[in-house]
Amino acid sequence: MNVKKTASIALAAAFLLPSLAALGGCNSADTIVLRVYNWEEYIDEGGKGTFIYDELHELDDEGEPVKDENGDHVHIQSDIVDEDYLAWYEETMGQKLSEEGPRLLDDFCLWYEKTYGQPIRVEYSTFGTNEDMYNEIILGNEYDLLCPSDYMIMKLAAEGRLEKYDKSFFNASLPENYYVRNVSPFIAKKFENNAGLAIRKDDAGEEIYWKDYAAGYMWGTTGFVYNPAAMDGNLEALLEECDWEIFTNEEVSGRITAKDNVRDTYFAALGVTYQEEAHNQAQSLAAFKAQYDAGELSLSEYNEGITRIFNATDDETISLVEPHLMDIKKNIFSFETDTGKADMVAGKIWLNYAWSGDAVYAIDLAESGVDEDGEASETALLNYYVPKTGSNLFFDGWVMPKGANKQAAQAFVNFLSMPQNAMRNSYYIGYTSVIAGEEQEMLDYADYLYGYYPEEEYEEGEEYEEPVEYDLTYFFYGENYGDVSPILLPAEPEQATSRQLYAQFPPEEVIARCAVMDYYDKEASERINELWSRVKSETLDTWAIIVIIVTVLVIAAFIVYVKFGAKIDFLRPKPKKGYKLVKQEDPNRI
Amino acid sequence: MKIPRFSRKTLCIPYAVFLVFFVIVPMLVIFFYAFTDSNMHISFSNFIKFFSDPTKLSTIVYSLVIALITTVICLAIAYPVAYILARSSMKRKFVILMLFVLPMWINFVLRVNALRELFNLLASLDGMEWLSGSNYFKTVFGMVYDFLPFMILPIYTTMLKIDPSLYEASADLGASGFTTFTRVTVPLSMPGIMSGVTMVFLPSMTNYVVSDMLGNAKVTIIGKFISDYFGNDWHMGSMIALVLLIVVFVSTWLTGGFKSEENVRGANL
Repeated sequence: MNVKKTASIALAAAFLLPSLAALGGCNSADTIVLRVYNWEEYIDEGGKGTFIYDELHELDDEGEPVKDENGDHVHIQSDIVDEDYLAWYEETMGQKLSEEGPRLLDDFCLWYEKTYGQPIRVEYSTFGTNEDMYNEIILGNEYDLLCPSDYMIMKLAAEGRLEKYDKSFFNASLPENYYVRNVSPFIAKKFENNAGLAIRKDDAGEEIYWKDYAAGYMWGTTGFVYNPAAMDGNLEALLEECDWEIFTNEEVSGRITAKDNVRDTYFAALGVTYQEEAHNQAQSLAAFKAQYDAGELSLSEYNEGITRIFNATDDETISLVEPHLMDIKKNIFSFETDTGKADMVAGKIWLNYAWSGDAVYAIDLAESGVDEDGEASETALLNYYVPKTGSNLFFDGWVMPKGANKQAAQAFVNFLSMPQNAMRNSYYIGYTSVIAGEEQEMLDYADYLYGYYPEEEYEEGEEYEEPVEYDLTYFFYGENYGDVSPILLPAEPEQATSRQLYAQFPPEEVIARCAVMDYYDKEASERINELWSRVKSETLDTWAIIVIIVTVLVIAAFIVYVKFGAKIDFLRPKPKKGYKLVKQEDPNRI
Repeated sequence: MKIPRFSRKTLCIPYAVFLVFFVIVPMLVIFFYAFTDSNMHISFSNFIKFFSDPTKLSTIVYSLVIALITTVICLAIAYPVAYILARSSMKRKFVILMLFVLPMWINFVLRVNALRELFNLLASLDGMEWLSGSNYFKTVFGMVYDFLPFMILPIYTTMLKIDPSLYEASADLGASGFTTFTRVTVPLSMPGIMSGVTMVFLPSMTNYVVSDMLGNAKVTIIGKFISDYFGNDWHMGSMIALVLLIVVFVSTWLTGGFKSEENVRGANL
C-alpha cells in the first residue's frame, strides 16, 4: 500500500512540476501579456520561406536551400539584408540576426523588453473571416489588438467597441512613433477621409473616422488572375472587352471562379449589373469612367460615384442584381475561398477572381513551374487584371477593442511599422504593406523585387526589352503630390501592366477606379443574406415542395400506423357486431 | 487514509457534467436564439420566415434527397460485402474487411482532397468532360466513399453473430436459399442495417466539406446553410439547426433508434 502511494505521489508530482514551472514563468508579476487576434498566415512566422531565410541562404531553382559537401546550408551575402540591415537588427533587438529566420513575434518581445524595460509575451490567435472575428468579439472574448478589414473597422467603431489611438501616437516628432513616420501619405489620407465612404456618427453624435481607431497594416485590390495562354491567347482580349461581364460570358463557362462569400461576390455582381447599364438613378460604371477620362468629373467625384454604386443595398438594386448573380452561378466553375489558386496553376480554370495578395502568390507559384531551360508550361505565366470600369480597394488595419492594453498594443503597431519589419511581412504574406518608409525604404524593397536593369544583366548585342518607368509617386507622397520629383521604378513592361508589380503596387489610375466596401446595416445585411441563400441553393417550385412535404407526412403516418397501430385502440378496426374490443396485451411480455 | 470507493452512480458524474455543459446547455442556447430576434425579444418571426421561404424548404428537401441516395447506394454496396465476408470461410477475410475500413484511418479532409484531384484528372480525359460540371454526382460519390465503412461494419458484426445453426434449421425445414435469406438473414441483420443507415443518413445531410470541395460549393446542403447563416444571423441559423434537429429526431424515432434504450440499465440522474 505504502509503496503504491509513494509511487503515485511521485508520478503526480512528475506530471505537475513542469506545468507549475511554466505557470511561474508566465505569471511573474511584471510580464505583460499582449493578446493579438490576426488573420491566418498574416505575419512573418519565421523559418523557411521568409525574407531573412531566403535572402541569407543559397537556394536552388525549386527554392530549396543548397547544401555543401558537409550537408550544411550555404549562406550568402544579400543585397537587401545587407550589413546595414544586420547592424540595425542587432541594435534594435539586442542580438545577432539568425540566418534561420526568426519569428517576428519573438523579435517584438526582444525589442519591447529592450526598449521599455519590461518583459512581454504575445498571445497570438488567428481567424479566417471578418465575420468569425466579429462573432468572437461579441461573445466577449478579450483581445488587445485585432486586424479587421475596412468595413469591419467601421462596423466595430460605429458600435462603440473600439478604443481610440492616443493623440501622442500620431506625433511624428517622438522617436518611438514608427507608424506615423513611416506610413504612406496616400494611406494616411485614405484613413483620414474613410476612403470616401459616408461619414457615420457614434452614439454621442461624434463623427467616426478610421484614423482615430485604426492603424493600417496591409492593403490591396481585387481583380482577375487569368491565364493568357488560354483560348489560343485570346483570353486577354476577351477580358478587356467584357470586363466584369466576363463572369457571365459563355466562352469562359466552367473556367472561371467566384468567391464563396457574399461580400465579394455581391460586389462582383454589382459590377456586372452596372457596367453598361444605368439603373436606379445611378449612371453606369462605363459612363462614369468616360466622364472622368474626359475631365468632366474630378477624381473625388468619380470615386464617390462608383463607391456609391458598389455599396448599393436597397431592395431595387438587390432585385436587379439577383438575376445576374444567378447567371454568374450558372457560368462559374466553383465558388471558392482558397482552391482557386491551385486550380489556376493546374490549368483547370482560366480565370480566378482574387485578392491581389493571393494573385501575387498564384503568379509566383505558377512561375516556379518554368523548367530549367526556361521552357514555360501552358500555365507557367499568369497575369492579373483589375476591371477597368472599377473594382474593390481594401485595407486591413489594427484596432484596439475596449479595455485593451493600449500602450503595448500601440508599441506592437509601431514595431510592425519599421520598414525593415514591413519588408519581412510583405514578403511573407504577399500583400502590400501600408508602410512607405521615412526615407522611402520600401522603394528599395520594390526595387529589389521588381527593379529591372537589363543593361547590367545582358551582354552587348543581346536583345532585351526596354524597361518602362513605373510611377509610384502617389504612394510615397500621397495623391495630389504637386511639385515633387516623381518616383519612377524601372520595370519590365509585363510587370508594369499585368504581373506581380502591377498586383502588389497598383498604379495610381487603378486606385482611382477602386471603391472601398462599407458595412451593411442590420436591414441591408438581412436582405443580402436572404439573397445569398437564394443564390447558393436550388429553389424548387412551391407546388413541388407541397407535394414532397405531403408525401413525407403520408409515409410518416403510414409508418406510425404500422408500428403502433395495433397498440392504439382508436386506430384498430371497429369490431363486428356482437364482438368486443379487448385491450391489446403487451406483445413483448412473455 | 481510506481509498474512496466509487459507486456506479458517482462514476456517472463526469459524463453527466459533460452532458449538461456540452449537450443540454448548447441545445437550450440554440432554442433561445431560434425564438428571439436581433433585439433579443421573444419572436416567432424566424419560425414563420423559415416555413414560408421556398429556398429554405428546398434546401432541406435537397439535403434529404442527397442523404437518401447516399444511404441507398451505401446499403446496396455494403450489404453484399458484409454478407459474403460474414458467411465465407476465407482464411484472410479480415484483410478484405481492412481494405474497406482502412480509409477511415486516413484524415478525412485529405481523402476528399485526393478524390477532388482524381476527379479533376478524370475530367481532363476525352469523353469525360461532363464530370467537370456534374456537382451533384460528385457530391454523392464523395459521400458514399466517405461513409461506406460506417455501413459495412455494423452490418458485418450483426451478421457474424447470427448462429449458423439457424441457416441449417431453415434448410432442414425445406426453405430455399432465397427464402432463408429473406426470412432469416435479413430480419436478423436488421439492427445492423438500422444503425448503418443512421450512421450514414444523418451525417450526409450535414457534411458540407464534401459538397464544398467536390460540388465546388455549388451544391448547398443544410449544414452549409447553417454555417452561412451563423456568419451574420445567429437567430435564423439557430432556427435552421433546430428544424434539422427535429428532422433527425423524427427519423431516428421512426427507424427505431431509441428502442434499445428500453433495455438499458443504469443510474438515472
